[in-house]
Amino acid sequence: MGSPTRSEVMRHLDLVGQLQPAYHQPAQAPYPDEINHERFRALLRSPHDIGGEADISIRWEEKQEEQWEANTFATCECLAWRGVWSAEERRRRQNSDVGETQYLGLPYYGRWLLSAARIMVDKQYVTLTELNNKVEEVRKRYEQTPSR
Amino acid sequence: MAKVLDDKKKGHGHGHEGEHPAAPMVEEVSDFEILEMAVRELAIEKGLFSAEDHRRWTEYVHSLGPLPAARLVAKAWLDPEFKKMAVNDGVKASLKVGVDWIKSPPTQFGTPSDYCNLRVLEDTPKLKHVVVCTLCSCYPRPILGQSPEWYRTPAYRRRLVRWPRQVLSEFGLQLPADVEIRVADSNQKTRYMVLPVRPAGTEGWTEDQLAEIVTRDCMIGVAVPKPGVTSNVKLPVHRAIHPIEHHHS
Amino acid sequence: MSKPHHDRTHHAKKATNVGDPQCFKGQAGPAKFKAGDTVRIRDLPDFFYTRCQTYTRGMVGTVTLAVYESPAAEDEAWDNTDKPEWFYSVKFRQKDLWPDYPAAFANDTLETEFSERWLEKA
Repeated sequence: MGSPTRSEVMRHLDLVGQLQPAYHQPAQAPYPDEINHERFRALLRSPHDIGGEADISIRWEEKQEEQWEANTFATCECLAWRGVWSAEERRRRQNSDVGETQYLGLPYYGRWLLSAARIMVDKQYVTLTELNNKVEEVRKRYEQTPSR
Repeated sequence: MAKVLDDKKKGHGHGHEGEHPAAPMVEEVSDFEILEMAVRELAIEKGLFSAEDHRRWTEYVHSLGPLPAARLVAKAWLDPEFKKMAVNDGVKASLKVGVDWIKSPPTQFGTPSDYCNLRVLEDTPKLKHVVVCTLCSCYPRPILGQSPEWYRTPAYRRRLVRWPRQVLSEFGLQLPADVEIRVADSNQKTRYMVLPVRPAGTEGWTEDQLAEIVTRDCMIGVAVPKPGVTSNVKLPVHRAIHPIEHHHS
Repeated sequence: MSKPHHDRTHHAKKATNVGDPQCFKGQAGPAKFKAGDTVRIRDLPDFFYTRCQTYTRGMVGTVTLAVYESPAAEDEAWDNTDKPEWFYSVKFRQKDLWPDYPAAFANDTLETEFSERWLEKA
């Protein structure tokens, strides 16, 4: 069919379908000569670039929004409103930088939330130490519910 | 998952006759909820945005829904000049249904994620549009509200561009082979809504009556308007553990 | 330690009361393509991030509109917004896109947008 590029595109769409989220270490780092162009392309692809890949028919569902999801959406938009990032930078981080395993393995808004945490650290508004300390502080708050 | 026992009930075991039964009040707070609070509190502490900003944004999002878009469709059905204008300039047409893509959001420069470039896709008897964002889940929130869960799924995003008729038939929509189905993949700054064909059986209807049958699903393109059908395709609803509490004044 | 200074006001300064992508209007120079042009999608290197879908690469389609000017997503994603490009909506025939697209549905199409760098004359 068609051009060499189109053939490569079709083979790529078939191959990336074989990449799955992994909860354990996959095979050890391969030698360079074990990575041909097709595998290079598949490994480096932006995880969000999934149009045209095969997938099964799923039950289409609505979902009731969690309070934390609504809060996350507002946090991400407020971060953009006040110039910490643009939506496009958010998408790049949230839909690509997270990597294949987190992309497919995390809930939709889980990626939004993780990316909001990450941008604050990356741009040095917050140190990682501060973030971890705050998470610990919040966690402890929920272990110390005062008697009613 | 952090599990917290209400202090009052701690230590009450089973088998205490005559006492209140031990119904442990386990408030489960998820890792996501903990991180969400941490991120929001830190952002506010560091002055990245204010608590007021967050509240205003939440309120703005809560105000969004598909009604303005439905009214845009109804107006277009009733007024060919408005329809032409809507197809050429979706942002200008939106003003007529109270949506200012630039100034309705608190930013005064559009929402960060939805931008200010609505394109209204006009269906005809021989052309049916259906919208997807294969790369993420871009959606015209300012005029249509939040996207449905299924629209965000990898399955919809992978399949609609390549097997549109199969996906549409799963939503109950089948079209003749000679009708051109055009998938619009909103991969950049444009946001799409579908302007469906006005169905038969609506002659003489008012704008309100027409708007009532233009559902969110019709404007994504997975359904077509029908007299008497005023809600989306009924789908299972995945319930939230801690759903949003709306504060209505 | 070194700490960069981030100007958090630059987008708001540009886009308040103007909108986005409206704020980039007039900054991309003359559009290379116009409605009706036949274009091919270039299979350019796309390290780390792209919004030019792999499924479109190498495809030939028709420009339906020059839609707006904006920095390419690949640059905007790193806050490099100095060089806006023209963006185009391009339409493809599904039967050209997919080898397995049923012949019975020969009229079906797909439309999506590209920044100018991704297009070449076909």
